[in-house]
Amino acid sequence: MSLIEMINVNRQYGSGRTLVEALHPTNFSLNSGEFIGIYGPSGSGKTTFLTILGLLQSPTQGKILVNGKDTTKMNSRTKTDLRFDQFGFVLQASNLIPFLTVKEQFKLVDKLSTSKKEKMNRNTLLHLLDLQSVVNNYPSNLSGGERQRAAIARALYNNPNIILADEPTASLDSSRAQQVVEFLTQIAHESQKGVIMITHDTRLLAATDHVYEMRDGYLNQQR
Amino acid sequence: MFLAIKEILHNKTRYLLVIFTVFLISYMVFFLTSLAVGLARQNRTAVDQWDAKTVVVSSYANKSLTVSSIPEAKYQKYLTDKDVAPVGQMTVVSQLRNSSNKINTNVFGVDWNDYLSPKLTEGRLPQTNREVVVDDSLKNDDIKLGSQIKINGSDDYYKVVGLTKDNSFFTIPIIFTNMKTFRTLKYGSSQVKNISALVVRNDKKITETGLTQITIKDLINHIPGYTAQVMVFSFMIIAMIVITFLIIGIFMYIITIQKISLYGVMRAQGIRTSKIIESLFYQILILTAAGAALALIFMAITQLFLPKTVPFYSDWLAYLVLTLAIMVMAVLGGSLSIQRVLKIDPLSAIEGE
Ligand SMILES: Nc1ncnc2c1ncn2[C@@H]1O[C@H](COP(=O)(O)OP(=O)(O)OP(=O)(O)O)[C@@H](O)[C@H]1O
Ligand SMILES: [Mg+2]
Repeated sequence: MSLIEMINVNRQYGSGRTLVEALHPTNFSLNSGEFIGIYGPSGSGKTTFLTILGLLQSPTQGKILVNGKDTTKMNSRTKTDLRFDQFGFVLQASNLIPFLTVKEQFKLVDKLSTSKKEKMNRNTLLHLLDLQSVVNNYPSNLSGGERQRAAIARALYNNPNIILADEPTASLDSSRAQQVVEFLTQIAHESQKGVIMITHDTRLLAATDHVYEMRDGYLNQQR
Repeated sequence: MFLAIKEILHNKTRYLLVIFTVFLISYMVFFLTSLAVGLARQNRTAVDQWDAKTVVVSSYANKSLTVSSIPEAKYQKYLTDKDVAPVGQMTVVSQLRNSSNKINTNVFGVDWNDYLSPKLTEGRLPQTNREVVVDDSLKNDDIKLGSQIKINGSDDYYKVVGLTKDNSFFTIPIIFTNMKTFRTLKYGSSQVKNISALVVRNDKKITETGLTQITIKDLINHIPGYTAQVMVFSFMIIAMIVITFLIIGIFMYIITIQKISLYGVMRAQGIRTSKIIESLFYQILILTAAGAALALIFMAITQLFLPKTVPFYSDWLAYLVLTLAIMVMAVLGGSLSIQRVLKIDPLSAIEGE
């Protein structure tokens, strides 16, 4: 069974003459253990696609199934809990809470978590993303790259089944970017998670299992 | 609680401003209350000390002790009851020997062995017609034990042999004399056996033509200006408390609006709206409690520096009730933001691009 499935989903913004079809009707599914890469020009609809998949916004038409369950009729609270439990987001903008240090971002997850699900090892994450020296910093005192890595660490910490990353390597140097991608590959393959990564850097796509191109709101599988 | 405290600590200036505002409002509320209570008390402390239930005055007096005058024939028979005591009241001007300073005072004529006899803090009860007990607030006018005072320009001097405290009537301190001295002062002769009122400590009903029995509460409410004073202060205090509602409401609303993209991030991370609202209210409670606590500390300090003549009374129970009222108002104010938080779209997390 797919972790997440998109059935005939489209998304329009605006109406009448200003109507934009940011995402044309799309079918898509992500299985556990799968690492999918998506690339495409700016404004082609990648973020729109990812946020609909992540239940951050509703599609204009069509439905999203998470673990086989239709999310269309779910109330906002159920979707919120699903996001907390099942999804790890690495968003284009920072998704860290500005008044918490890196360490406290994890502490918040501990405090809010109600399920017995095991967390990822915090130290392993911090070590792997080379964040040990900045655990007591607030997001505003991190470099762009550190912030991005901290966001990745935060997204992975709750051990989500589905990881959605919107240009997670954008502000990283190429060797670090390579490391992050390797890490995401490892998580997908060894921990049987589903990972979707949007990137502009086509070199990073080599590590992924499947590649899609987004163009003018159409999603096409390349391999 | 975690989120609420962390955020306050991280944005100290912003939240200190809120605390400071709450502090100012609470301080004003507490200060006004102290003045109101102080003034109200000065109107009635003597009457409160009677610890009685009703008062019998002349019907024509319109519930005023000052105007009432009851002849002996009408009251004598009730005095057998030890819970019924006569009191004579008149407003006089007193003067310390060798001083030109004229002081407004009340004379209360009582029987020293009645329950209306003042509780002494210093000295002794008078033994002659020329000895009196005075309220210790007259110390502000240099009247103390052993002082000689003239009453209403009399040729005689009265010697202060005892002090009592919290004994004033319509804000004017009291000089206690015996009944005989009172009658001499008021009627020019101790042969006129009139009194101002009978004070009744038990549930006895007294019906006598020309006399009216009224409750203590009624008596106090008819002290000229008393009700108006209490009302003016009450309205001011209520207005301040309502302002708290608006100010906290507006403050928190602005802060909420500024935090929308932050809330978006939280929502995207899967943090429930209820958690966010909970945090908002924890913040309001923490901020108002801090502001009010600060105000209480400053009240205690203010009290030390205030001149004795200011009618100021620290009523800590009233402060507690008012603090709660302010907190309730702040919480109500905070609820203005709930609607806005409920509408927060997790997608606003990525609008920061
Ligand atoms: N809230 C919105 N209202 C109206 N139009 C929108 C909205 N969000 C996105 N769009 C439009 O939808 C299209 C797709 O946007 P999207 O953000 O998905 O692009 P993208 O592929 O993520 O681009 P980039 O690589 O620059 O991040 C764009 O034309 C954009 O202008
Ligand atoms: Mg995008």
